[in-house]
Amino acid sequence: MANTKVAIIAANGGLFDAYKVFNLATAAAASDAEVGIFFTFEGLNLIHKEAHKNLPLPEGKEHFEEGFKQANVPSIAELLSIAQEMGVKLLACQMTMDVMKLEKEQLVGGIEVAGAASFIEYAKDANMTLTF
Amino acid sequence: MEAAKVLDAKGLACPMPVVRTKKAIEEINAGEILEVHTTDKGSKSDLTAWAKSGGHELVKEAEEGDVFKFWIKKA
Repeated sequence: MANTKVAIIAANGGLFDAYKVFNLATAAAASDAEVGIFFTFEGLNLIHKEAHKNLPLPEGKEHFEEGFKQANVPSIAELLSIAQEMGVKLLACQMTMDVMKLEKEQLVGGIEVAGAASFIEYAKDANMTLTF
Repeated sequence: MEAAKVLDAKGLACPMPVVRTKKAIEEINAGEILEVHTTDKGSKSDLTAWAKSGGHELVKEAEEGDVFKFWIKKA
């Protein structure tokens, strides 16, 4: 998987969304792929300093909380730090940050703030583009 | 089989067995064997795929009770 590039768009901010994004990102990075994630709209919750530690389950699916504990699934905070440790590139969408009145300081460290064209430039030669 | 390192990844859910295996294999030399123990049912196909994607050789695998064991030769 070296020389494989994965581009991910994270556009939703629930707990299920976060697991889809970070599980695939860390699995790809562990397989030696180059990985970049573009966080936009509610996806910004996934890298918000506070919000990412307590993401909501979908309405009516709250009972899955027990299942996450029993399956010993790592926390989103843990997966996020593993992703960063493995060199996953995290891009926050400037335009949606403006719309949602978010400052870079409110997001976790080590991210880049960028526009749509930056992601397009990153993703243009990606082998996989995944959208969540 | 003589393993240079044994990784205990029992009780861990996806994607942690693969993440920990990746870290552990960085600590051994090419040609050496990493032995991995897991309980995650998905790890059976995942570690096979992971070894393939990194060019490593899955020399042997075994099941002992609830535990899956893998012997991976580093490329």
